[in-house]
Amino acid sequence: MKKPASIMLVVARMLVVALMLVGIAGKASAAETKMVGVITQIEISGKDAKVATATLKDNKTGEAVVITVQDDLTLDKFKDHRIVEGDEIRCKYEAKDGKNVSTYFRKTAGC
Amino acid sequence: MRRSALVGSMLFALLQATSARAEHPGKSEIEKSGYAGPSTCERCHPGKAKEFLGTVHWKHASRVDNVEHLDPKAEYGMKNRIYTMCNGNDVVNDLKETPKNAAGKSKFTGCNTCHPGNHLSDVGSTGPEAEAAVDCLVCHSTDYDFRQRKPHLDDRGRVVMGQDRSTKAALSIGKPTVKNCMTCHEAAGGGVLVKRGFAFNKDTDAHAAKGMVCVDCHAAKNHKMPTGYDPNNWANDGVRLSCAGCHGEKPHKLAAYNDHTARIACQTCHIPRTGGAVAKDFTVWERGADGYYEPTTLKKEANETAPVYAWYDKTVRNEPHFIGPHGSRKDGKSKLYPFKIYMGKAFYDRKTGQLLSMDFAPPMATGDTRAGVESAARTLGMKNPAQVAKDAVPGWQTIYFGSDHLVTRSKALNCINCHGVNGVLDFKALGYSHAEARKLTNPEIYFKQLVQQQKEEW
Repeated sequence: MKKPASIMLVVARMLVVALMLVGIAGKASAAETKMVGVITQIEISGKDAKVATATLKDNKTGEAVVITVQDDLTLDKFKDHRIVEGDEIRCKYEAKDGKNVSTYFRKTAGC
Repeated sequence: MRRSALVGSMLFALLQATSARAEHPGKSEIEKSGYAGPSTCERCHPGKAKEFLGTVHWKHASRVDNVEHLDPKAEYGMKNRIYTMCNGNDVVNDLKETPKNAAGKSKFTGCNTCHPGNHLSDVGSTGPEAEAAVDCLVCHSTDYDFRQRKPHLDDRGRVVMGQDRSTKAALSIGKPTVKNCMTCHEAAGGGVLVKRGFAFNKDTDAHAAKGMVCVDCHAAKNHKMPTGYDPNNWANDGVRLSCAGCHGEKPHKLAAYNDHTARIACQTCHIPRTGGAVAKDFTVWERGADGYYEPTTLKKEANETAPVYAWYDKTVRNEPHFIGPHGSRKDGKSKLYPFKIYMGKAFYDRKTGQLLSMDFAPPMATGDTRAGVESAARTLGMKNPAQVAKDAVPGWQTIYFGSDHLVTRSKALNCINCHGVNGVLDFKALGYSHAEARKLTNPEIYFKQLVQQQKEEW
C-alpha cells in the first residue's frame, strides 16, 4: 500500500514541475516577441516627444502590429527621418499594459 | 604629468560635450541670407571645401604604407578595394537603380550612398563643382532632415543624391556628434552594427559613458581624421591615434598592470568582447519580404562575441583568403591585440586565384550573384566578363578587424582571465613553449597580488 502511494506522490511532483516548466517557458516566449516587418505608419508628436508608435506589417503573417517606441536613439531616428515609412525593421517587443513596447528596433538594410 | 594631461583631456571632452551644441557664430547671417551650401560656410571658413576634397571621407581612398602587396603610389580604400565584408566597392557598385525584380520594381543601391557629395560630384572628384557639392551639414548639423538625402533621377536621367540645405538644418551646426558619425558608420557592411559590431553609447563604451563623442578621440585637424591601425581599415588621412595619446604608457595604479603595456595593447584587456557580423555569403543571396535579395549574413550584437588575440606589428598580411595582422612574439615590436574575426564567402577568379568583386544591382533584383560578378568584371575592363563569372569559384576569406571600441574599465580582463588555466589567451598558439605556457598559467604569477586585492575589496 505504501509503495503505490509514494509512486503517486513522485508522479504528482513530476507533473507539478512539468507544469511549472511549461508555464515558465510559455511566459518567456510571451515576454519577448521577435518580428521583421515593414513600417506602414509612424506616429510621433513633435521634436520633444518621448514616445512614438510605429505600425509594422509582419513579413510572416501580414498582420499589422503596433509597436510603442520609447528609446531615445530610435525616437531620434524617427524625428530626423533616418527611419521612415517603408523601411523594413527587425523588432523585438514585450507586451506591457496592453502595449507592445519595443526593446529592439533596427532597420534591416545597410550599405 | 600624465594624470594631469588625462584630467585635462577629460575636462576638455566634457566642455566639448556641453558646448559642442552651443550657438554657432553667424546665426543671424544664416537666418538673413539662408544656406546656400559650402559657399555659406566658406564666408567664415575659407578653403575648407577644397581642403575636404583631399580627405579620406571624400576620396574613400589614400596611399597605404602598411599593407603588403599594394602599389605604394596607388590609393586604396572603399573606392576600389575588393574584400569580403563589402564585396562591392564605389567603382563596381556605383549608386544606381537596380534592374527590375520579379515584382517589376527597382530601387537605388550603391556603396557610395554614404559619400558626402551629390553623386554628380562623387568619390575623389575635384574642382569648383565638387567643392560646391560637399554636404557639410550631414556631418555638422544636428537638425538634418534625412528625407532630403535620398537618391533620385534628375531631368537628364542622372542619379543625384539629395541634400538638406535648409536654413533650419544650417542653424544647428557644430562639431560632429555621435549621431552625425553613426549615421553612416553604424550601418556599414549591410546593416546596423554589421561591419564593426560596436555601439557607441553609455551602456557599451566607457568613453561614451563619460559623455565623450567620436571626435574627442578622432579629433580632426583640417578635416583629416586620426585613426588607429585596424588591419582591415586601410585608407587613412596620415594621422594616427592611440590610447596612450591620452592615457600615457603607464596608466594603472598597479605596477604589475603597467608592466604589461609594453607588449599588451590596451584593447586586449579593456575590450574583452566584440560583435557584428560573424560570417557572410556573397555567393548566395536571400530573398526578403520586399522582393529584393541581400547577402546571407550571420549577425551578432555588440558585446555578443569574443575576440581572437594575435601579435600585431601594425603591418598587414594581405592575401586572397586572409587579411590580418603581421607580427610575432619575438620581433620586439609587436603587441598582443584583440580582433573581431570575420569570414566572408565570395567568388574567386579560377585562373588567377584572386578575389573577384560584385556589382550588387543584379543580384539585389534577381538573386543572380554571378550576374553581379560579370557586371563588375565588365566595369573593371576584365577580358571576357561572362566567362570570368561563369568560371568563378566560391571560397572563404578570413578578415581580422581591429577591436578598438566597446571599451570597459569595470569589466576589463584581470589576471585570472588571461593567466588562469582556462584563460582567454592560448599561449602556445601565441608562440610560447610548453614550459612557458605552464609557467604563465600558474597561480604563482598572480596569487599574492589577487589575495591582497581581495582583502582590500572586502
